[in-house]
Amino acid sequence: MKRSLFAAALIVLCAALLTGQGKTLNLFFYSPELTDQYNDMAREYKAETGVTLDITVNQADYVTLLRAKLNSGDIPDVFMSSAYADNTTYKDYVYDLTNADFIKMLEAGALNGVTVNGRITGYPFLVQSHSFIYNKKVFSAAGISALPRTIREYESAAQKLQAKGIQPFATGFKEWWVLPQTAWQVLAPIKDSFGGDYANFVDKLNSRDLKFKDIKEMSTVFDVLDLIKKYGGPKPMESDFNDQCSLLATGAAGIIHQGNWAEDSILKTAPDAKIGFLLGPVGSAAGKAGIMFDSNQTIRVAKDGPNVQAALAWLRWLTTSDYGKKWIPDKIKQLSPIKGAKASSAQLAQATVGLLAAKTPSYSWYYQRFPTGLEQGLGIILQGYCAGQTDRQQTLDALDAEYTKIVNASK
Amino acid sequence: MGPARRRARIARGLEFFGMTAPALIAILLFVEIPFLMSVTFSFTKWNGLDKAVKFIGLANYRELLMSDPAAGHAMIFTLLFTVLTVVSTNVISLLFAVILDARIRGRNVLRAAFYIPNIISLIIIGYAWRFIFSRGFDSFSALTHMRIFQLSWLGDSRLAFFSVAMVSVWQSIGFYMVIYIAGLQTVPREQLEAAVIDGTGPVDRFFRITLPLIMPSVTVAVFYSLSNALKTFDVIFSLTFGGPGTATTSIALDIYKTAFSDSRFGYGTAKSVVLFLLIFAVTVFQLSAFKRREVES
Repeated sequence: MKRSLFAAALIVLCAALLTGQGKTLNLFFYSPELTDQYNDMAREYKAETGVTLDITVNQADYVTLLRAKLNSGDIPDVFMSSAYADNTTYKDYVYDLTNADFIKMLEAGALNGVTVNGRITGYPFLVQSHSFIYNKKVFSAAGISALPRTIREYESAAQKLQAKGIQPFATGFKEWWVLPQTAWQVLAPIKDSFGGDYANFVDKLNSRDLKFKDIKEMSTVFDVLDLIKKYGGPKPMESDFNDQCSLLATGAAGIIHQGNWAEDSILKTAPDAKIGFLLGPVGSAAGKAGIMFDSNQTIRVAKDGPNVQAALAWLRWLTTSDYGKKWIPDKIKQLSPIKGAKASSAQLAQATVGLLAAKTPSYSWYYQRFPTGLEQGLGIILQGYCAGQTDRQQTLDALDAEYTKIVNASK
Repeated sequence: MGPARRRARIARGLEFFGMTAPALIAILLFVEIPFLMSVTFSFTKWNGLDKAVKFIGLANYRELLMSDPAAGHAMIFTLLFTVLTVVSTNVISLLFAVILDARIRGRNVLRAAFYIPNIISLIIIGYAWRFIFSRGFDSFSALTHMRIFQLSWLGDSRLAFFSVAMVSVWQSIGFYMVIYIAGLQTVPREQLEAAVIDGTGPVDRFFRITLPLIMPSVTVAVFYSLSNALKTFDVIFSLTFGGPGTATTSIALDIYKTAFSDSRFGYGTAKSVVLFLLIFAVTVFQLSAFKRREVES
């Protein structure tokens, strides 16, 4: 009697387990400022397909946690990373999307960063731009009508702001990642010396034929960093991302170096703030000042996960469904890599589109081609320069030593 | 030995082993075996992601000893930081323990108040102090115009060292105060009363009677604070992330950056083996030096 009852219970349990279980996909993302938008999208996907998206969001320790997960076998079905150099870093773990049907629906330019030897290693998530961002009301209050494009023009704008009692720059120098994005923008026209091709420039750096101390344009980089620090208020090394966004939003600072992802944080502090992009100075050549525009944040599908087809189905939905096509422009309010996507109404997205239409120089995020780990390594060295720990020559030597170390470590 | 006695001995041995086995197995699984795995990884070159691991012998150790100035700076920072925080923490906690051992009003409330920072996670403390040092001090300086609030406590390379040390000491005082209070309770009152009758002053009483008798507590407290200070990570990670530049990078933070930012797991584990040997040497030396001063009452 007891045995048959047990057998019956077991059969019922197995039946329950095999049927009626919705699928769950594990997603591991960063950019916690987009958490609400991730959850919204997950709700919509579940309503339309019944598949649950279990999204974990982390920022500060993302790379560390991702490595720990990949190593311990707790591989997320879908994760995020940068483009370019990260294609090689995660090569053992990513699913090749070259033959996926939805890839054709993405802009060719956005796919540049994820293509290696003709294979597509990731799905471009957001197209972003970064440069100097200015508060329009502050600028007009200080009487600055012509937007600066050269170092001298930036200095005179800073002086005008300071004369009005406004801190010209909120430096962001406490974050190691703000320094590379600021510095490498100044160096952006370097591709002209390398046949217009960043790959050529980075190859020479990687083979150590070219060193930072040989690049004379680095002195302009240091000039710009010096300028930002000089007009960066009383505690320039303590300014972090939050400081930048809140000071710009309230009009306590006039200029920050950030990207269109900062708009959400800025508008949360001051919903009526009016902001725009300034072209980044590259020295005295006003015509070469531009913005950094690329698709760097990439979604990658884990090739060894049990849910590869479900992950591909989700990406297909993201690219082709009505909600998916509107998600980035309307909810995330940034630029979408999907062909024919409508432009977002966000101020910086509109500014980007306008600048591109006016044929302003737009440079790709070439510094993401540096071997993985160098963004933080070089950023910390530049931070040391700004803190006064090293002079220019020592900084150049330190940049070269770090680059050589990482290149050797990855051989 | 007769067979019966041998069997009895084996039975007793098994019984002891059975009692300690759970703890032994746990330590083996979660501490010893991972540690040995670390040591084997320290002889390899691995980026933490590739499925292939390359054996390179002692090359990591050679690089660490000869061509890594960043590791050298981290070592110097950590040693200076350790000296400052161990001395400050123990002196201040002992002082508070003595004050809060006397029968003063509100003694228990004060003890709890000093202990609370120790309960809060160091990461949260780091972020809270980060806010205080930058925005808090900005407000204070606007109110009081005192020079001390206008200095860049987290942005100046030299001041950042003291900021980090101060926060670390502030957080740990409660814990060591508890150890010292417990030690002070064991000092027999009759000896102190005899000393009072003999006419010794309070300072003399402390240094000649109390301090030698609480040496076991001092040994424990110094050992623990020493080994923690050499491993400092949390407070620096959240206050400055080793910055500005590398001004406040400790050995543990340097290991973390080597492994997770430079993607050099082999080299990172080699550095952590060296850190282990350093802590081992320092604490063994400290324990033997202090044990010799312990006095039975």
